[in-house]
Amino acid sequence: MKTLDLIPYSEPIPASAELFIFLEQLFFLIHILIINSILGLSLIIFYQWNRRRDFFEINKPFVKKIPILFAFGINMAIPALLFLQVIFGNFFYTSSILMGTYWIFIIPFLIIAYYSSYFQYKRFGISNSSKLALIVMISMIFYISFMFVNNLSMMEMPESWTSYFSKREGTIILWNIPTIYPRFLHFLIASVAVGGIVYSFYFRKISEDQLKEGLKIFAYATIIQIAVGFWFLLSLPQSIMIKYMGRDLVATVIFLAGVITAFIMVFTAFKGSLKGSIVFLLLTMVFMIINRYHLRIFHLGENFNLSHLKLLPQWDLFVIFTIIFLLGVTIILYMLKIGFFPQKGDIKE
Amino acid sequence: MNYPVWELYYLNSGTLVAIIAVIHVFISHIAVGGGLFLWLTDLKSVRESNTALRQYVRKHIWFFLLLTMVFGGVSGVGIWFAIALSSPWATSILIHTFVFAWAIEWVFFFVEIVSLLIYHYKFEVLSDKDRLKISFIYALSAWLSLFVINGIITFMLTPGDWLKTGNFWDGFFNPTSIPGLFFRTSICIMFAGLFGFVTAIFEKDEKIRQELLRYCAKWLYIPLPFLIVSGAWYFLSIPENARITNFILNKQTANAVNIFIIATVLLYFLAIFLVFKTSPKIQKVAVFTLILIGLSWIGSFEYLREYARKPYIIYGYMYSSSVLVNDEERLNREGLLKNSKWTSIKDITEENKLIAGREIFNLQCLSCHTIKGVKNDIVEKTEGLTRLGIISQLYGLGKVRDYMPKFIGNEREREVLADFITSLHAKKEEKIAEFYPKEEKIEIPPFNSKTDQYILLAWSTLGEKCITDSDRWFSFLYPGSTFQAIVIKRGKKPEILSEGIEIQYEVQKGYENPSKHSDFWKYAEALQGKKIAENLGLTGKGLKGVFDYDKGKNIFQAEGVPVLPYRDDGVFNPYPIFEVKAVEKATGKVLQTTKLVAPVSTELRCFECHGGKPKWNGISGISDQTAINILKLHDRNNGTRLLESALKGKPQMCQKCHEDFIVKSEGIKGHNSFSASMHGWHANYIPWKDERACNFCHPNDAKGNTRCNRDIHAKLGIGCTQCHGRLDEHASSILLSQQGTRKAKLLLRNLKPETPLNEINARKPWIQQPDCLNCHSGFNRPIKNAKAFNKWTTDVADLYRNRKDSTGKIPCTACHSSPHATYPSFNDYGKNRDNIQPLQYQGIPLPISSNMKCDVCHLVKMQGNYHHANMFRNFRNKKYLLQ
Repeated sequence: MKTLDLIPYSEPIPASAELFIFLEQLFFLIHILIINSILGLSLIIFYQWNRRRDFFEINKPFVKKIPILFAFGINMAIPALLFLQVIFGNFFYTSSILMGTYWIFIIPFLIIAYYSSYFQYKRFGISNSSKLALIVMISMIFYISFMFVNNLSMMEMPESWTSYFSKREGTIILWNIPTIYPRFLHFLIASVAVGGIVYSFYFRKISEDQLKEGLKIFAYATIIQIAVGFWFLLSLPQSIMIKYMGRDLVATVIFLAGVITAFIMVFTAFKGSLKGSIVFLLLTMVFMIINRYHLRIFHLGENFNLSHLKLLPQWDLFVIFTIIFLLGVTIILYMLKIGFFPQKGDIKE
Repeated sequence: MNYPVWELYYLNSGTLVAIIAVIHVFISHIAVGGGLFLWLTDLKSVRESNTALRQYVRKHIWFFLLLTMVFGGVSGVGIWFAIALSSPWATSILIHTFVFAWAIEWVFFFVEIVSLLIYHYKFEVLSDKDRLKISFIYALSAWLSLFVINGIITFMLTPGDWLKTGNFWDGFFNPTSIPGLFFRTSICIMFAGLFGFVTAIFEKDEKIRQELLRYCAKWLYIPLPFLIVSGAWYFLSIPENARITNFILNKQTANAVNIFIIATVLLYFLAIFLVFKTSPKIQKVAVFTLILIGLSWIGSFEYLREYARKPYIIYGYMYSSSVLVNDEERLNREGLLKNSKWTSIKDITEENKLIAGREIFNLQCLSCHTIKGVKNDIVEKTEGLTRLGIISQLYGLGKVRDYMPKFIGNEREREVLADFITSLHAKKEEKIAEFYPKEEKIEIPPFNSKTDQYILLAWSTLGEKCITDSDRWFSFLYPGSTFQAIVIKRGKKPEILSEGIEIQYEVQKGYENPSKHSDFWKYAEALQGKKIAENLGLTGKGLKGVFDYDKGKNIFQAEGVPVLPYRDDGVFNPYPIFEVKAVEKATGKVLQTTKLVAPVSTELRCFECHGGKPKWNGISGISDQTAINILKLHDRNNGTRLLESALKGKPQMCQKCHEDFIVKSEGIKGHNSFSASMHGWHANYIPWKDERACNFCHPNDAKGNTRCNRDIHAKLGIGCTQCHGRLDEHASSILLSQQGTRKAKLLLRNLKPETPLNEINARKPWIQQPDCLNCHSGFNRPIKNAKAFNKWTTDVADLYRNRKDSTGKIPCTACHSSPHATYPSFNDYGKNRDNIQPLQYQGIPLPISSNMKCDVCHLVKMQGNYHHANMFRNFRNKKYLLQ
């Protein structure tokens, strides 16, 4: 069975491919930052549980915000997945089916995780069931993120699809693909780092100690993350690995830029600069997201070519979407304004 | 065919989509209606300075947020996940066609989330004015997401001009988008009230609770008129064909319709409990019951909407089996497997046929059917069908009841799919023992041409009288053969006798007790509305008796003689012999004795498709199993309860509903005639169109037990279709006589008669038939390849079996015998079993007076074609007589 023969036909796309790729990456960046925050903070909370006297007091604000972050994390995943499906739909649907049984469990597990976050918030400091809820939530996120890693990896590797012919009930996991492990770990460690920086950010005006503590978590996690990143790089097929090491100029430059900014942010974190760390974190994430896209294209190789996508433009709709999006953002900003910065006369007595 | 198939045989992906969708749709409607509810209720609390009402809003938001944002939001993503697993190609089309609509919907969702979170978390902080602004933004954005989603969902049911233009706007603003939007908006408002109850019943203050409950009840009742009007508008906007096939033809939707109606009634009646003061406990029970009823209500509505779209996933564009309508013809020609990306088999061999069948099942059936699973179990659905039955079922899929897609693929693929499905059945097909007719010698009665003064000619009006013989379950042909006879006094001018004589008949030994072999007499009351004494026919005639004289026809006739093909000694012979005597009444003198064959068969090969095996000694007749299988199908397809009635001891005559001239039944108006129903229905299913198709029901299978088409025509290779047309032609001609009933149109639309439909002449079954003279024009030898099809006799009197010669005295059948058994006949139960009288009177098995043997009756030498043109000649096909 030739891999190319298995790839489903694609549908015409309603705007230029680059636009959708950009939108996918943009919303993925926001999404992953939020999800990293949720998981990172949760892991920090879990680690700190009963280890310090002021544990409940310190962590209450995070516990309160995690459900809200969940709402936004899920919400931002939607456009990322939507735009991904416009360009890579035929790959993505296929890999989803190949692991369909595990994939669909994401939904109930996500509902459980989401409700657990509310439960944890409501019971935090009141009952130990709160810790149980936290564990459930973390476990669910582990599951969901691993499945995402598996699906996205499988989507990028059509050569692995032939397993379907011996396993059709949607239970294919790429256990035998070495990059799966560092890729998943890369997400986990990133979460701890982002969690650290969110922690630090929250306490920036409240407690210097906590600010530093957060930055320390961020810095150490980043060091580990750099090591995991190299493991990830080395686990890639050689033909792809060398593209990041000079064979492909753009990929190499972006990769190196990401590594450099990562090192810089370790440095800024140790120096206690929150602002610097945030800036370099964001830069690193942008570079890493581009790296991630390059990796997808390298993996797909000759199985995918942007120029093969037929364009049937719907520019009128793109304009309408843009207007509605801007209107939506304006309304959101307006609501945030009246919600968080009420005018004097509006404050309720 | 474009994507792999998630091979879940127990809980298929389609069912999974349904489960997630129903829950999500329930909550999402609450979310939209709830937006309006919260805003207006909050506004009311502000205007009336009603603190209690505000507190209620406060509590309701929290419950609302937990339900709609968490469960509703994620389950919405769940539908997306599930449909992509179940119908990835259709999902891809929806995503690519409507990506910006989805993106816009996401913006509204985003605004919804932010507004709801602010509304909840900042409820106490915000001023009344700002709070109301936020709640209004939530209400508006929630409704706008409904607006967008509704456009896409209705597109799937009625894509409208999009099918031609491919234009987004044509798809989005489609024929049902506006009625759908109104209908769903009404549902949202109704559900807002329904869920308002949940928070209200937990209010501790009784007075406030009662006020709140009444307030919520208003939300439930006010949208009712809009719900009804917009529902009707929505229903009438869906394609007419979808309405007919899915709400009338598909009896499986009846359950959902019933649930929908019952749930609506219950919902509105039960809510009254909450308006009046009752105990909090009863109120709580009532509210949670109402929620469950609401879930059933929306579930049945969504089920009906999904069914209305069948057999498509995108109406007119893609079948629910994920095959594009445009690809159908090519795939039928080239084969499905060859054109499918995700199949391990491309070329079918004898060795891989079951795997190939499974691949086809996965590609075409699995999205809706399970294997021994939770819903639409294919094993249960095909229970009672043999491999051939399944092949036929697949051939007929989507033709009459077009809520199922047609089978797409070539003939071989259809067969291997049937092989695969058959292999899933626990009960293996029974092998039917081959039947070999036993030749029996016939003693030809004596005739002395010199001394005998009388000729007695007697015959059966039908070349084969058929009997259902499944009276315990149903009947459409009961025992009752009709014989006719004339007595001719030989002479210079022969005379046909009508007075002073009596014609007696008596069946051969072994056939005297048909009631020993058949349940007809046991169920006669149910079937015929009257008790009938054992071994007598409907007209009171028995196996031994006297002919009546029919003055209208000038003929002796014994109507309704209940002879069966079963003999007491266990022998099956569908050609029992009757001895017939003409007796002078005054003296008792026997004027002439002869024998007639009474062709009677119970060979209906329903078991070939419907399973079971022949009832009588494994040879003939419809067995209990076969009959039950047939009734089950009829009940399922038509919403009847025939099986239940039969089990209660009240089997039905099919013609009670379906008009049939031959059994003198007028049926029920609007139903197709029995013949039109049988031929029309089965023509849509049976893949063969030649004699093989005829022989399933008519007793002429070459290996069957009757082989009724046995005259010289059969010997010359002339089969059923040359006179009656091939199956689709035959069925079409009959269906065209049904005066355009809706069902006749449905049965006709997928037939492919070789003669173009507009050239086919309608004919009334049993009343109009092809005539001998169509081919034997002027009684002459037919031209080569002559066909009798499509030119019908005008009425019953014109039929061969009722016509007479040029003198108007001698029936055609007197000299030529029964239709399909005209002299000379070649009967496998004995070469001359059908030729007794010609052999008796003229020593040759040819029509009476053939080869110019006028002296059978005329005692002077005759010349000329006295009885009909071209009769005065030698028999043409002599060579066959020697075989």
